[in-house]
Amino acid sequence: MAENTTMTTGTGLDRRKFLTVLGATGAGAALTGCSTDRVAKLIPYGTQTEDQVPGIPTWYASTCTECSAGCGLHVKTREGRAIKLEGNPDHPVNAGKLCHRGQAGLQGLYNPARIKGPMKKSGAGFAEITWDEGIKLLADQVKAAGGAFAVVSGGPRGTFEQLLRAFAQQAGGSVTKYEPFDHEPVRLAHQAVFGRDEVPVVDFAKANYILSFGADFLETWGSPLEQQRGFAASHGFDDAAKGMAKHVYVGPRLSLTAANADEWLSTTPGAEAAVALAVARHVAEAKGADAGIRSALATYTAEWAAKESGLTAKQVDEVAEGFAKAKAPVAVAGGIGAQYANAVELCSAVAVLNAVAGAIGTTVRFGQDAVQGDGAAAILALGAKMASGGVKVALVHEANPVYALPKSTGFAAAFAKVPFKVYTGQFMDETAAACDLLLPNHHALERWDDVEPRAGVQGLLQPVMEPVFKTRHTGDVLLAAGKAAGYALPDAADFHAHLEKTWKARLGGGDPEGAWREALAKGGRYAAAPASPALRANPAAIKYTAPAKAAEGEYVLLATPSSLLHDGRGTNKPWLLENPDPVTKMTWRPAIEVHPDTAKLFDARNGEIIRVETAAGAIEAPVVLYPGIAPGVLSMPLGWGHTAYGEFAKDRGANATDVLAVAKDAKFVAYAGQSVKVIKTRGYQKLARTEGTPRQLGRHIAEAMPAAHAAKGLSVKESYLELGGHTHDINPEWEDKAIEGWYETQKEMRVYGEGNNYAGEHPAWGMAVDLSKCTGCSSCVTACYAENNLPWVGEEQVLRGREMSWMRIERYWEGGEGGKALEARFVPVMCQHCENAPCEPVCPVYAAYHTTDGLNGQVYNRCVGTRYCSNNCPYKVRYFNWRAYNRWAWPEPMQLQLNPEVTVRGRGVMEKCTFCIQRIRQAQHDARLEDRKLKDGDVVTACAQACPADAIVFGDMNDPESRVRKIKATNARRYHILEEINVKPAVTYLAKVVNVDPAHLAEGGHA
Amino acid sequence: MGTAVITQASPKYGPPTDQTHAEITRDVVATLDTAPRGYYYLIFACVGCFLVGVATFIALLKEGLGLAGYQPPIMWSVYITNFVFWVGIGHAGTLISAILFLFRAPWRTAVYRSTEAMTVFAVMTAALFPIIHIGRQWIFYWLLPYPNQRYLWPNFKSPLAWDVFAISTYFTVSTTFLIYGLVPDVAAVRDKVTGWRKFVYGKLSLGWQGTNTQWRHYSRAYLYLAAFCTPLVLSVHSVVSWDFAASLIPGWHGTIFAPYFVAGAIYSGVGMVLTLLIPLRKHLKLERMLTEYHFDNLAKLTLLTGTILFYAYGMEYFVAWYSANTFEQTTFWRRLFGPAWWAGWSMVIPNAFLSQLLWFRKIRTNLTALWVISIFINVGMWFERYVIANALGNDYIPWAWDQMNPTWADWGMLVGSFGWFGMWFFLFSRSFPVVAIQEIKEFVPMPMRGKRAGAKAAAGAH
Amino acid sequence: MRKLVMLLGGVATAVIAVAAVIGRPTAATAQAKADPNAAVKLAAADTANLKGPRQPVFFRHDIHASQYKIQCQYCHYSVAVASEPGLPSTQTCMGCHLVIGGSDESAKAEIKKVRDSWQKKEPIQWVRIHYLAKHAHFPHQRHIKAMGPNACATCHGDVSRMVQVYKVNNIQNMGWCISCHLERKVTRDCSACHY
Repeated sequence: MAENTTMTTGTGLDRRKFLTVLGATGAGAALTGCSTDRVAKLIPYGTQTEDQVPGIPTWYASTCTECSAGCGLHVKTREGRAIKLEGNPDHPVNAGKLCHRGQAGLQGLYNPARIKGPMKKSGAGFAEITWDEGIKLLADQVKAAGGAFAVVSGGPRGTFEQLLRAFAQQAGGSVTKYEPFDHEPVRLAHQAVFGRDEVPVVDFAKANYILSFGADFLETWGSPLEQQRGFAASHGFDDAAKGMAKHVYVGPRLSLTAANADEWLSTTPGAEAAVALAVARHVAEAKGADAGIRSALATYTAEWAAKESGLTAKQVDEVAEGFAKAKAPVAVAGGIGAQYANAVELCSAVAVLNAVAGAIGTTVRFGQDAVQGDGAAAILALGAKMASGGVKVALVHEANPVYALPKSTGFAAAFAKVPFKVYTGQFMDETAAACDLLLPNHHALERWDDVEPRAGVQGLLQPVMEPVFKTRHTGDVLLAAGKAAGYALPDAADFHAHLEKTWKARLGGGDPEGAWREALAKGGRYAAAPASPALRANPAAIKYTAPAKAAEGEYVLLATPSSLLHDGRGTNKPWLLENPDPVTKMTWRPAIEVHPDTAKLFDARNGEIIRVETAAGAIEAPVVLYPGIAPGVLSMPLGWGHTAYGEFAKDRGANATDVLAVAKDAKFVAYAGQSVKVIKTRGYQKLARTEGTPRQLGRHIAEAMPAAHAAKGLSVKESYLELGGHTHDINPEWEDKAIEGWYETQKEMRVYGEGNNYAGEHPAWGMAVDLSKCTGCSSCVTACYAENNLPWVGEEQVLRGREMSWMRIERYWEGGEGGKALEARFVPVMCQHCENAPCEPVCPVYAAYHTTDGLNGQVYNRCVGTRYCSNNCPYKVRYFNWRAYNRWAWPEPMQLQLNPEVTVRGRGVMEKCTFCIQRIRQAQHDARLEDRKLKDGDVVTACAQACPADAIVFGDMNDPESRVRKIKATNARRYHILEEINVKPAVTYLAKVVNVDPAHLAEGGHA
Repeated sequence: MGTAVITQASPKYGPPTDQTHAEITRDVVATLDTAPRGYYYLIFACVGCFLVGVATFIALLKEGLGLAGYQPPIMWSVYITNFVFWVGIGHAGTLISAILFLFRAPWRTAVYRSTEAMTVFAVMTAALFPIIHIGRQWIFYWLLPYPNQRYLWPNFKSPLAWDVFAISTYFTVSTTFLIYGLVPDVAAVRDKVTGWRKFVYGKLSLGWQGTNTQWRHYSRAYLYLAAFCTPLVLSVHSVVSWDFAASLIPGWHGTIFAPYFVAGAIYSGVGMVLTLLIPLRKHLKLERMLTEYHFDNLAKLTLLTGTILFYAYGMEYFVAWYSANTFEQTTFWRRLFGPAWWAGWSMVIPNAFLSQLLWFRKIRTNLTALWVISIFINVGMWFERYVIANALGNDYIPWAWDQMNPTWADWGMLVGSFGWFGMWFFLFSRSFPVVAIQEIKEFVPMPMRGKRAGAKAAAGAH
Repeated sequence: MRKLVMLLGGVATAVIAVAAVIGRPTAATAQAKADPNAAVKLAAADTANLKGPRQPVFFRHDIHASQYKIQCQYCHYSVAVASEPGLPSTQTCMGCHLVIGGSDESAKAEIKKVRDSWQKKEPIQWVRIHYLAKHAHFPHQRHIKAMGPNACATCHGDVSRMVQVYKVNNIQNMGWCISCHLERKVTRDCSACHY
């Protein structure tokens, strides 16, 4: 990597210009009829480096810092700029996968709202200064503070953190680690139950009965991506032999995690603990736990729990029995969305439950301590100190407490009291705006660093490109400032040197240089997880206080974390704003989720704005009617309502934390269970949702079958009939024959016709999507945006239904009425590349046509935009450039992210999923250069690559060895959407498998 | 004087006119005299509307089609609605001038000229919309087959390619037909006027002398052209209907579409004829040539086509129900009871039910009533196309469902199209004889002594 | 407004529906057109009447490629492995011109420019001659693989005999590609180049 740096400094030429030159393949080019966007100058490198060959991507290993999970990255760079993030297959946490937040890191790197250089407060705004001035100012101030110095750091654990602590300690101050979603209740509970203040690592892959008490482990709880992988492994259906895990979710809101549960038990908010205790009691009895525990649990009967939680005793018993019988059960709790006042009791109950069920050490492993922050108590204490004037100089690093901490904690006000505040983050966020000196740090992809998300896993970060702005590594800044202030800090020229030294020492061995290089290539050092200690639960920790009931005429509010925005750090990235929320399908704006029955009480319809009031404050937001929430409960996503943080985030929606009444000495922020008044206002805000009609109307789009049937190897149709449904209305045989014949002649003409002669036989690209694995997390969508230069279109265009995402996740509701349980079905829908594609014959200019390798081609530069293809597409997967989206979707410097291998579409042109044809062609080029045939796995589409659940399989259907062919040929659950219209899609779906008694799905439960 | 006698003797539904050759020529040529101020206001209004359309189009070119109310999955909306609407308007003309000519319907003579003109201008209007509605208007010519070094041709499998040919053929033929029919009349005008106008009409009359030979060849050729036009009346709108019928959208891919569209086209065409002729007749003082007799017949034609349309609507619903195809059924249910029910009903009520009023002669012969009905017919037929386009909004994948949602850009273009059409039509109506002098004369018996009853009978028998 | 102009242009084209087939220049004619006077002594000042754009440095392909027989790929290093042919870095030039200072005054002057650019670390900004529309992908490596290392001339003309490089063939014109793909019976699938 070092060479890369010298290379670029060597030429010192404007990277942007430089790239338009070599990226002669379309980055940033508005597509017009026959335009050849002439580039006037060709600018060569000053010094050539072997790791940069124009036209060939260079990959660097790094580590993701978008949340505290610390996933490994492979960064794809072209001509010296990062254009795509993918998971690092060697990394134990994410094993080659990456979530939408991780992938959107690129839009952080190229974000226009980044601080472009060192700045000093002057009047209302900031004035640019030089780095030397900045560092001098920092050194002087810290010295002058004489110990009254405090550091708030959101950065991960690692070498930098140690440097930061050293600096603070030298300055007589201290470091407070701040992570908004810090799972304090989990830690407090484990402190109480096991005497260990830590967050365990849960292995969902091993589990076969997963019981979640409001822990959204597929979204924001713990290490989501790792858990998704695990969940897909255990809960996804492969074969009867392996079977599948059962997942039961207990809690008042149908989050994405709950939507993936086989059973959702909607309790009264805050009463989850009661259920946990009742289950624990049953399990303790069944497995014969020690007397202490048994007696402590004695009073918590199923009946009592039923009364507390609003479930039936039968439901509680069923769960308890299932959990007790299960070979590898696991219970999880402590989700942000379920962080009630009594969250510690809930987590304790669950800890005890795990203990008595024997999950500790098998599915729940301690000793790896995935804790990141010091907890809310610490930061609030610091706030108090600030308020009392105990802090003269404050340094905030990569954290945004001013936004993230609820107003009622008064932290913002206290922080404002600090005479001199320094900010070393990247973005002009609320905290930065409140500071006096801004010393912007490099983005994670521009800097040397390391991350230790948990014991045994140490990830490395290396700069993959030159800094986009005039930023500087905070490590270098601290070293320089330390020198200036005469502190005893590690003696190193810069942080890079320091890091390298530290690592070489750590790696040791005969050849530290080699080891260091290897670590860089692998993306870090991954030791085996330490053995989990045997732990005994302490009965004294078992407590239960009933949740405070909402006052008369009031409602219970859950402030739930968004799987896209996390704690609000995603709100400045259009990819995350336009990617619809997985369950409500809202884009660009938060809405308060209300159950239709509840909404009747204050007569609110979709989009009508209500005012939510508490003693702490009030917020206004539109209502979205959501069947997936308990009556009497409101839910509002976190992460919105920024007052700074760039054009995308600023003034977008309201901040749910504003209404949370949090004590100044709270041990954690109770995001859930706030009792609120609701007043309907006159306002109305049309909801930018991507959902048209959420019911299937018997059209067999998202199929599902009970696990029992899947195990028996029934086909979708057989299972459907067994459940008492009517037959599918598939066409009669003679009709199929006729179409078959027609199709064959077409193929003759197409494939073997004159001019269509690829060397060798033709591949036929195809895809298979396993709905039993797909969780609807939407990572694939962001992957598609990044890979294929999809423009985001903005709220006002989404309101017109014009979102451009080639891949959309449809979420259909089943049941939810007539006493049937509400079930969500997720279907990723992309171009089906039909063999008998209806879009092809109707295009008057052959812009839509069938390629010789079985793709449904779309030639942008030939398209005149009649849009007949889209009309005639039964799957509605073609997207039209209604406006010149390419002119607004990549504001400086975001256009640097564009993939040069993919044409940027101009307005008036139809586009759609291409099966990542650029990847196919690249693979074909490489194979040709090596004089070999393509083999299965040479081509992986962006969505398949990203999918944490490995639900998407892509390959050549003509290759007898390919995975996709095997699935299409043999898997009993296979089906095509809209089979009856005979378009022969190349995308095969595998029916979802629900691990419930078939009776639950009976009488046409399919649709 | 014989003429006087005939005048007295003219029965209510007798011969089309009671005028002499001289009077006819005089009256018709009189329509070309200096127009009242009102006429110029009308023209200016039309040009104004047209400019609105131009402005809208420039906006579209600059900003993209997104300005219009497209709401995916509805990829065709108001512009296609207008296109089909105007093509439809075009149909009455050729029907009346060609088919009725072959059937020797006497009453056509007085109206066919104006309807033919209407046809030409309607097609001129319609032809603009396919260009306006495509995403990259500046390369619309890629739809035309022309030799090029890229070896690229249009896709002749695509109904849109058929459209190009259908429309251009129809435009060429109907224009020729119109000009051809004009020749003797222009000559007649030439003989009446003086000065530069004489020169102009002289050139336009292609040296017409009205000699026996000329007349013989002329009428032969006219007959031939009429025969040549006749299939076009049916073919053009059938092709247009295939734009929809050849797709697989529920509510579009119906075999009924071609006849259904043709009937609808003639229906809307006659509707437009009535809308235009009734005021024109008054304004140009042609009451004696365009009698109730003509409007009665036009109304009957409307009634016929309207009834066919009624049947077609009914049949669509029957088939949807009978097919037991859930997609079809949903579409047709939502057409009248879905979110866009208002559009559905504003198509059914005027087209299917209102036309049934024309069973009553009282209404048929009451020009005011007829005119009001004709307005409703135009609106209704516009909405028919709107509703058909809106069928895209609820096809196979419920998740994608949406509704059409027009904006100023759509309305601007609609206004523009009316301006463009009106401009041409009204300019025409003042520059050329809107009733065919020579054909009307055919029905006027020679002013001779005796055989009056016979003459009357002869005239009536035509 | 440009769109409007294009629209009108379109109308014109449509009316004269004979956008007749443009004569497709072949490699053979390209050879014929190539500049015959190789390796004559010329100073930068004399370039005015030469074909092709004036370059910042009067680099003579005829001398380097023809006289000194330097292979194309010595400088255009990535042409056989990547879609981009690659431009020689200043370092590559200095490889020789560290020692070679130029035979006569005019040559010295030009080489000095290169050395200065190396000193100042400011790359020479060459004027681009061949460019493709950004919606067309041309994988150089595939063509070199298929047609051999010296196939460059097929499209670029015999650069080795050009005093100053100029465009011989209308390569950004799709007809050029198609004619060749027809002759050689290779794919004419649109998505081979357009995606």
